[in-house]
Amino acid sequence: MKRLALIGLDCVDPVLLRQLLPMLPTLRRLAEGGSFTRLRSVDPPITIPAWMCMMTGKDPGQLGVYGFRNRIDHSYESLGIASSAAFRAEAVWDTLGRDGFRSILLGIPGTFPPRPIRGLMIAGFLAPSTDATYTYPKSLSGDVRKWVGDYMFDVRGFRTHDKAWLVEQIHEMTRKRFTVARRLIESKKWDFFAMVEIGPDRIHHGLWAHHDVDHPKHDPRSPFVGSLLEYYRLLDREVATLMELFPSSTEVWIVSDHGVQPMLGGIGINEWLVREGYLSLRGRPVAGTRLPDLIREGQVDWSKTLAWGAGGYYGRLFLNVEGREPQGVIAPRDVDSVRTEIAEGLERIPDEMGHAIGTRVLYPEELYSTAGGIPPDLLVYFGDLTWRSIGTVGWETIHFHENDTGPDDANHAPYGVFLSSSVGNPGDRQLLGIHDSVLAHFGIGEGL
Amino acid sequence: MSKKYAVRIPPAIGQAIEEHLHELGAETVAEYVEALLRSQLQQLGYLSVYSKEEEEEIERRLRDLGYLD
Repeated sequence: MKRLALIGLDCVDPVLLRQLLPMLPTLRRLAEGGSFTRLRSVDPPITIPAWMCMMTGKDPGQLGVYGFRNRIDHSYESLGIASSAAFRAEAVWDTLGRDGFRSILLGIPGTFPPRPIRGLMIAGFLAPSTDATYTYPKSLSGDVRKWVGDYMFDVRGFRTHDKAWLVEQIHEMTRKRFTVARRLIESKKWDFFAMVEIGPDRIHHGLWAHHDVDHPKHDPRSPFVGSLLEYYRLLDREVATLMELFPSSTEVWIVSDHGVQPMLGGIGINEWLVREGYLSLRGRPVAGTRLPDLIREGQVDWSKTLAWGAGGYYGRLFLNVEGREPQGVIAPRDVDSVRTEIAEGLERIPDEMGHAIGTRVLYPEELYSTAGGIPPDLLVYFGDLTWRSIGTVGWETIHFHENDTGPDDANHAPYGVFLSSSVGNPGDRQLLGIHDSVLAHFGIGEGL
Repeated sequence: MSKKYAVRIPPAIGQAIEEHLHELGAETVAEYVEALLRSQLQQLGYLSVYSKEEEEEIERRLRDLGYLD
């Protein structure tokens, strides 16, 4: 059976990659000799849950995971981080293991804490530190330390104006991850190798405006205009070093979980809800106050609150429903009409000049065949994800051009990439189909 | 040094693990059993994945990364 190597590059975008391919010899050869198509992500196209959707073949509704933090119950405060314990569906490596195939997994978001598998695992970036048990087997962490010293799950202090430092950190993280990948490939047995490098996502968010000449904040005199290309060249060289180590018969796939697009600004979802009378606060908070802090301090008047929201790359909106939330006020018979009214209001929010921004509001029951866990009542893509959702309150405006969590130039786009060393169907592929395609490669199931 | 529990397992189970250590990915029977128990207890919610301090640190990091507000 031919081996399969899946190299995940978080946030790599098909349009960007086509632009850069002439400067990336390894990826260009792969695309020209095999196939290069778009890969439609899930909704929401966010790192968690997207990678685990890919690895389980289940959508966020089936997994009951809608983002990095999810409601645990219907109280107002209970939110849990989506660790690997949140993903109960069988992953592709579990199925492969049962059929006798060994996997090496490196850095896949949603795999901390690691579970025993037939093979080896180094968890993704939700590991708190290298002091935690972040590998399976545990003793593998000793090898990692010998190979690269302090392994970097992610870039710490990512929201910075010090772009030179940020670029250096991302490069160091990527070099270390690929060094670990090479050592694993060389020294361990495997049939299925899967890794995710988070670096492209970090460089996009941190430096997109320096790269994208159409970005409103682009400055052609910036010393970081070429930093993104420089990073992709590093990635290309690192991928080349892996390809040299793979037996020649190895099938190689390069995939991403979502794409990238410029972020034009942010919309204050909770500030808007306050102004429209859907969210009632006791007093006026200072600018930039986080809603969860106000909830904890009892500063939300739930008796007069119909809805509240959460910020992030997309917005989440929750209704305060009688009999569901502890102090719910919306009668069950009114839920549909209130939700529609709020959704239409959100879609009508213009930019500060009064121009439409093309916000899309999605209903979980229309996105997913089943909505497990506790889904948001609405998913909000401000400006179709060209604007982020700002959850903090106390502002004089609902429009932002500086992020409330620090500088960020990019947001996510719904299409990632799929490159394969073998010729395949030129049409778009689905992220949710990768799971079955991996199994089909190993002669399990039918594939897509 | 925190207390370690010594648990006796039937020979058949110990031998099965020992014979398949390589396939199971572990180096010792103890390493495999510990990983299995930790994972099972975390899945059931009986063993916390994060300490309170770690959870706060992860949330701070996720805000820093832009995933949360």
